[in-house]
Amino acid sequence: MAKVVLESLNKVFTSKIGKDVKAVNNFNLILDDGEILALLGSSGCGKTTTLRMIAGFETASSGQIKIGERLVNDLKPAERNVAMAFEGYALYPPLTVKDNIAFSLMREKISKEKVDSKVMEVAELLEITDILDRYPPSISGGQQQRVSLARALVRDSDALLLDEPMSQLEPQLRAVLRARVKDYIQHNKKTVIFVTHDQTEAVALADKIAVMENGDLKQLASPYEISAKPSNVFVASFIGEPPMNILKAKINTVEEKLKFEILNDENEKTFSIKFNKDNIKKENLAKLANDQLITLGIRPHKIFFNEKESNFDGKASSSSYHWLGDQVHIGIEINGSSIIGVADRDFEPSSDVKLNFPAESINIFDLETEEVILNGL
Amino acid sequence: MSYLKLENLSKSFKDDKVISNLNAKIDKGEFFVIFGPSGSGKTVLLRLLSGIMLLDNGEIEMDNQVINEFQPEERDISMAFQNFALYPHMKAYDNIASPLRANNKNISDEEIDQKVKEVASLLKIEHVLNQFPKELSNGQKQRTSLARSLISKPSVVLLDDPLRNVDAKIRFEMRLELPKVLKEFNTTVIYVTQDFREAMALGDRIAVLYDGKFNDINSPKSIYQNPSSLTTAKLFGDPTINNFNATIKKQNEFVEVDIKGEQIKLKRKTNVQDGECVVGIRPEDIILSNEPLENSIQVEFRTKTPLNLRIVFLVRLKNGLELLCSTTEEESRLIDENKKMYISFLEEKSHFFDKETKRNLE
Repeated sequence: MAKVVLESLNKVFTSKIGKDVKAVNNFNLILDDGEILALLGSSGCGKTTTLRMIAGFETASSGQIKIGERLVNDLKPAERNVAMAFEGYALYPPLTVKDNIAFSLMREKISKEKVDSKVMEVAELLEITDILDRYPPSISGGQQQRVSLARALVRDSDALLLDEPMSQLEPQLRAVLRARVKDYIQHNKKTVIFVTHDQTEAVALADKIAVMENGDLKQLASPYEISAKPSNVFVASFIGEPPMNILKAKINTVEEKLKFEILNDENEKTFSIKFNKDNIKKENLAKLANDQLITLGIRPHKIFFNEKESNFDGKASSSSYHWLGDQVHIGIEINGSSIIGVADRDFEPSSDVKLNFPAESINIFDLETEEVILNGL
Repeated sequence: MSYLKLENLSKSFKDDKVISNLNAKIDKGEFFVIFGPSGSGKTVLLRLLSGIMLLDNGEIEMDNQVINEFQPEERDISMAFQNFALYPHMKAYDNIASPLRANNKNISDEEIDQKVKEVASLLKIEHVLNQFPKELSNGQKQRTSLARSLISKPSVVLLDDPLRNVDAKIRFEMRLELPKVLKEFNTTVIYVTQDFREAMALGDRIAVLYDGKFNDINSPKSIYQNPSSLTTAKLFGDPTINNFNATIKKQNEFVEVDIKGEQIKLKRKTNVQDGECVVGIRPEDIILSNEPLENSIQVEFRTKTPLNLRIVFLVRLKNGLELLCSTTEEESRLIDENKKMYISFLEEKSHFFDKETKRNLE
């Protein structure tokens, strides 16, 4: 396996009427040997185009693609030594499932026993041992996707490129297969780049996530950082279910406590969140101006319930209570503002809900540019 | 007193029995969720109820009246669809007003206006009433479609997976808001979804549809904690319930679970007979630790994946059995993957299922 480096990578498509469309805009990336990267975004964000350029199905308009020490821009897909599972990169219909998986091992000069044992290993991992002798047209879409993934995993290559590798999987299998695939990738030290529109899948599998929108890279960081320290409102609201609470607020620094006055759609104050200035770093306080309008974000599971000390003024009541087995989702109304919280499964709200918004979980964004000012006070 | 009774409903397409002997009693004003995997017949069932598809057998009774032979428009049942199904040439306002105009040719413009504005205000779409569907976001389309299904105050409203095509933010907003809006109309809601969380969040009761019939009809908590079968149990939870073959043996105050030669002791009672069965335990009901606890066994750590604000650990027993265990983010920080790792089961949360029928043995 090898390192993958993208330098100032661009892709411009020219439409029939001669208008240029930037599909990928100045993408830079260093992915270390053995790391797993998710390219995450909605349809049309440029994630698949980026992957296709690395695979060699699209030529880059400018910039460099390096796999290992090799510059691969001008190499054909087959010369790049990457294993792929692409939508539409079909299985061979006349070959059995087993032969489809083994096919990519044929050119590697290894014994038949070795091929068989490698095929069995990935087949067990992906739960397709019972269909190894079937032909692709006779198996379900979810099974075809698992075979395609098995074919890519088994190959010894410099990098694995996967396009929506788990989108068709049966819901009950998804979590366990994700875990096994991650385990396999980690233990075999494979370098992986996969495309997904599903933030749950990206967070579960990846070491690094590249969040894209309109061809731009919005943030490249670990799942933890993307979740705890989003660098803009787009990333903050794209990651996490339930999504981050995003509130418009006005800063008040003149009183004894630092206050965020939460505003509703009509710009009327609904409630305030308060912090002791002593507990806030000087350099952070310096970034907040009195009367400044900002966007405040806090993740639902970072709001603490039933704390002795509430740090907001106003009366909070729970407007809905959803018990979901391993967690509880609570809708909270405070003077007309609604927020959502996530609590442990044994939590039951009282009529007067006590809440604490911890300083380290408060994200502050510029109201206009939506770029981060502070991740944690 | 049940308001809607479904008795022995059956529907086949050629040899394919999609619905067979399905039964349910639904109360007035109830939020009744039909949940099942794709292809289980949920949409067919809604069509049978609405009257756009006819039953082979069985009876639909509403308010003490059999309505099998009633035309769709005579049933006082309305429907909203997953794909919104708005008239593209009509503004949102006229889409919402269309059932009123269709049902009553003599209705005055004032009355229409008053009703449209009332329902639009509840669904927070007053500001888009003059726009055409193509100018609306998916969330606004869904709200418009819901408004249209509610405006004539039907006794029963059928909602076919209405949040399927909207993004996460709107889906969560609607999960919180929808029950409140529907309560205002005092209507009986039959809601179809294939998302177990949505089913649990919204339903007063959930009916679990597979094999052509309702296998469990119960409150979300009861179904999750006490499913009637392994098949039902597996449809809830992400990750889903761990399940494996084992031999159980009762001892004084313990049940000993033997998994291919490895034993876990559960400090609980059961009336299940000693012998082979399938043991089920949900990922959040397995305790992970770096130190041996009472009745714990050592496992090998493989990997961990963050999932739905929790952390899922993949561990392996000495005999090769894989288990998924989940903890909160905070709890996961207390576990050091490089040290020895042990698991134990929350005793009362374990389930025993029949090996053949998959029925819950307790």
